[in-house]
Amino acid sequence: MAVHRLSLNPSSYKTRFTQRFLRALMKINKNKNRSSTSSSFQEIRRGRRRIKIAADGSMASAVGSKRAWSRAMLYKLRTRTRHQAWVRKISTAAKRKRDVGNKPEEELSRTDDLRRLVPGGEAMDFCSLLEETAHYIKCLTTQAHVMQSIADFYST
Amino acid sequence: MNSALPEMLQCVQTSENIAGNGTDMTVLERQRGRLKWQQQQLQSQQLQQSYFNENQLNLFSLSQTQHYQDLMNNDSAFRELANQSMKVDPDLENGWPNFTKYPIPRTGFCGEMKGFVSSGLQTDALEMDYSISRTSSCPPAEAVAMAGDEKGIESVLTEKLASTVGRDSFKKRKADKAQNPKVIVAGDVKVKKIKGDAEEVESKITEQNNSSNNRETSADTSKENSKVTEVQKPDYIHVRARRGQATDSHSLAERVRREKISERMKYLQDLVPGCNKITGKAGMLEEIINYVQSLQRQVEFLSMKLATVNPRLEFNIENFFAKELFSACPDSFPSVGMPSEIVNPAYLQFNPAQQVVSCGLDMAVNSSDMGLRRTNSSPVPVPETFLDSSSFTQAQLSTIWETDLQNIYNVEFHQGRSSAFPSQAFTGSMEANNLKMEM
Repeated sequence: MAVHRLSLNPSSYKTRFTQRFLRALMKINKNKNRSSTSSSFQEIRRGRRRIKIAADGSMASAVGSKRAWSRAMLYKLRTRTRHQAWVRKISTAAKRKRDVGNKPEEELSRTDDLRRLVPGGEAMDFCSLLEETAHYIKCLTTQAHVMQSIADFYST
Repeated sequence: MNSALPEMLQCVQTSENIAGNGTDMTVLERQRGRLKWQQQQLQSQQLQQSYFNENQLNLFSLSQTQHYQDLMNNDSAFRELANQSMKVDPDLENGWPNFTKYPIPRTGFCGEMKGFVSSGLQTDALEMDYSISRTSSCPPAEAVAMAGDEKGIESVLTEKLASTVGRDSFKKRKADKAQNPKVIVAGDVKVKKIKGDAEEVESKITEQNNSSNNRETSADTSKENSKVTEVQKPDYIHVRARRGQATDSHSLAERVRREKISERMKYLQDLVPGCNKITGKAGMLEEIINYVQSLQRQVEFLSMKLATVNPRLEFNIENFFAKELFSACPDSFPSVGMPSEIVNPAYLQFNPAQQVVSCGLDMAVNSSDMGLRRTNSSPVPVPETFLDSSSFTQAQLSTIWETDLQNIYNVEFHQGRSSAFPSQAFTGSMEANNLKMEM
């Protein structure tokens, strides 16, 4: 076991993410304990959203501000609660504008799809979009690994 | 006509230098130059005719002859000065020595322009200044030498070079165009030396949005020469055009961009599994999008799973242990967490559960973990324990999950270490079914 302890990389994305995520989970857990423990669908949905937000937030904060996608994600999360409706309005309006202005769906440009998937990808040129996508994929895989291990650990 | 042009250019140089040191040249000197020029004019009538055909020649005045004469007398002195001060490519200078012999009827004119001319004419003079500045062997410089301002000439010349380069992108004159081929010819003599710089400067010019290739090449030469002592700005990207490829600034930038994109696509190809066979941007993009979508869905699903699993467990203790788990086996099945495959999968299943139970009993996870792992303690009926300890209604759901999951884990363990992906998908489907049953 000591070997494993030593092999921990304290500065890797994985450890940073794990720490933050577990902390967030603890917080959520405490809140859940305090509040009612109803198992209604709404509660489950809310809980799931909270955990997803916690996961995304912890991942983005583990990455830091070095990457555009993490910055965009953090911004989205931080302004989410305050300007939720406003942001949604803006995004839908922008989407409508884009659909009108852009070519019709005959153009199978997957670039726009990718832009939608990667946070903050709307405002990037193709070259940096690819770079952000690569980094985002790496972090997503890490996130999925960690969450899977946590889930498995706690579900057994 | 062509032969007249260099003279015209030289004349411009003269005027330019004079203009640069406009205050240095007195009216007397100019008049003297004009007189001399008049003498020369008689000798080279034909050349003058060609010049007079130009638009700018309309403003010629005989008084400018003296100016030119003055300048011509100091041919040798100027040569020395030019060699010292001019930072223009020496080849240019060598290629033009004979020009000094020719009379430059427009010298005075240019000088006059500098002296008296209105704004409209001045631009023309500037034009010629720009084109002339590239020639080093110009008698005009002699006049400046005459004025005794050597350092001034240097600065003037360099200024002119720099300024003319700055004006490159804005002005297109016949003189310039005529000058360009000659400059390029001279430049070609030293292709090896200039090419690298030309390419580099081309990229610089790209940022200045120059228009024509010729302009860029010629501007490059002068720019390169004038900025020999300047520190290279770090924000310029030095690109070298490959053999047989266009050296246009736009195409260069395009090529750089394309190379960047292809490099990143290759990196993505390594990242996304199963993309080795796919070539081409479109197919790769498709795969990448699918992969990102699947990863996002996976994270979402896992978060949902955690949401249900979450409440029963404490996390502060698990922090360290979880880290251990994760760091030990990043790719293997997560709940294994064991260094060796020797451990009985059954124990593996139960150990974490046991630890959890012990957590509930306020036992240190680490010690219990160690103890449990080393001493092959009999497996505790975990699911029942869980059920008893949990007080949440979700426990029933999770129980079902656990039993199924245990089966899954058994299967997976026997199969060996499987990649996380299919295992997760498998458990996902199982849990989805469970959810359906419950909901």
